[in-house]
Amino acid sequence: MDGEIFRLPRERLGALVERLARDYRVLGPVRRGDSVGWVDIRPDTVLALDYRTTMLPPRQFFAPQREVLFRFRRGADGSFGFEEPPSQEPLALLGVHGCDLTGLRVLRSFHESSCRDRVVPNRLDRAFILGLACWTPCLDESFCKDMGSLENESPAALYAWDLGDVLLLKVLTQRGREILEALAPAAATAEELAQLRRRTRVRHETFPSHLRFAPEKLAAALEAAQDDILWEANAERCLSCGRCNLVCPTCTCFDVCDQATLDGSTGARLRTWTGCQVPGFSKIAGGHDFRPTRTQQLRYRIFRKGKYMPERYGMVGCTGCGRCIHHCPTDISIRDIFRQVGA
Amino acid sequence: MPQVSMIPHPCRVAAATAQSSRDVHYVVEVPARSFAPEPGQFVMISLPGIGEAPFSLTALPGEGAPPGHFELLIRRVGRLTNLLTRVRSGGVLYVRGPYGRRVDWEPFEGANLIMLAGGLGLAPLRAFVWRALARRREFRRIDVLVGARSPDELLFKGDLDTWSARTDDVHVRLTVDAAREGWTGRIGVTSSLLEGIKVDAHDTYAFLCGPPVMYRDCLRRLLAMGLYENHLWLTLERRMKCGIGLCGNCQLSGHYLCQEGPLLSYREVRHLREAV
Repeated sequence: MDGEIFRLPRERLGALVERLARDYRVLGPVRRGDSVGWVDIRPDTVLALDYRTTMLPPRQFFAPQREVLFRFRRGADGSFGFEEPPSQEPLALLGVHGCDLTGLRVLRSFHESSCRDRVVPNRLDRAFILGLACWTPCLDESFCKDMGSLENESPAALYAWDLGDVLLLKVLTQRGREILEALAPAAATAEELAQLRRRTRVRHETFPSHLRFAPEKLAAALEAAQDDILWEANAERCLSCGRCNLVCPTCTCFDVCDQATLDGSTGARLRTWTGCQVPGFSKIAGGHDFRPTRTQQLRYRIFRKGKYMPERYGMVGCTGCGRCIHHCPTDISIRDIFRQVGA
Repeated sequence: MPQVSMIPHPCRVAAATAQSSRDVHYVVEVPARSFAPEPGQFVMISLPGIGEAPFSLTALPGEGAPPGHFELLIRRVGRLTNLLTRVRSGGVLYVRGPYGRRVDWEPFEGANLIMLAGGLGLAPLRAFVWRALARRREFRRIDVLVGARSPDELLFKGDLDTWSARTDDVHVRLTVDAAREGWTGRIGVTSSLLEGIKVDAHDTYAFLCGPPVMYRDCLRRLLAMGLYENHLWLTLERRMKCGIGLCGNCQLSGHYLCQEGPLLSYREVRHLREAV
């Protein structure tokens, strides 16, 4: 059944959500005003499967923006007791685009190779991901085809193509098969498969190419451009707001801080997102700053994505989702920088 | 593999002594029998509800610190350290660690050692000096070169006196950037202490900790003296938030200093941006 393609009439989506809800907290893309985000869904929730991209990538569910590391309570003798929170319930995430699937792969490779901590990999292991093919580019700034994300289906358990009245579903994992079998789906018809082939071919032509080189060449291209005036040219208009870090599917940096009641008797130690573009990130003892200028900070962000991450984790740290460009208040573009250094 | 716990261990403070108007020296009971750090490693120290920060070990159990204890120097610079330095003897500090790379000392055996510290850099360097003295027979000449902004800012004066008195074991030289009347010692930057030091360049290791400018000056001189690049060891202290290679705050060109450092040889970092 692996790799086989099944058909699920659109009205059966609710049955899929119902099946998943037995084992998972189920999240899907839902429209709220002008934007779409993943929220908890029920079988009757209307899913925005034609959504463009979300502001925050799915990493928000696996390495949350704000997460309790442990809680503490001061006992009668003045000493503190500590308690770690229970582990997160397994998540099912529906309708994840290729760029964000790639983001989850990078998230895993980062956590598995840099550290003994298994929290995030365990969450990814236990999650159920339904991938969703994009038919049209979602942001003007995206460049997923260049970064190899457009056609990426991993780590989805099931991968879907939305044909309107029917979803075609490909089984990618054992778990995906178990879930789908419960719905007793029929195989896709010859006509549907032909339509899928045709639309996939058209899709490849519809999505523009922006870079003239393969992502594997990025590390060397950046290395050669490390003293380029390009960094200054971009940094001049950077506001150090850190939005690019927050919306990036592969940013992982965090701060650790404590929160306590006024009398200090109970509270928690938390990890919260931070980023290399935020002022003070590179401050060290004695008031020194080892990366004090915006030029250095900007170059560092781009180097981390295009050079340090592939060298260390074997995967380029940019999925081409375009979020950091789209949300940058001064239009700094990692795509333009990649294009310029690779030209 | 299991989850790495971020929960700290309460550790009893055996002694807390003011080193200056803003520095407090702590002798702390080890969190566990298995606590066996190497020079250059660090611990995360916290107070629940206030926060957590990394601190270098300034002396290791049985090597400068009493057996079953380790030592820290905490400088009052902000909210957390203001409250940490209020913890007195008998009080409790919350400890995680040790973290950081464990550097094997076997290659240093039989060699000359030059220990160079500028300002607060003596805090981590002190663990190296006490390690060398604890294993004194394994090394040849040992130079301890310490600089500070002013005589008042010289840290660990008791240790400096102790080491200075051991004239057969160690050569201690001090300098200050500026001094009032009454200071009869040397005036000049830390790197100037290297003037006139004659060692076998093939068989000498240097350990450095201090502000960035000191690294640049001292590295220049040490390289001019002919020392090998992989014989120059730097402690690149950063503001680690997790200690376990996750939070990214200590990242230097893709290297996590909480894992691959903070102690690194110059050869390992010379090609990296923003190292020194």
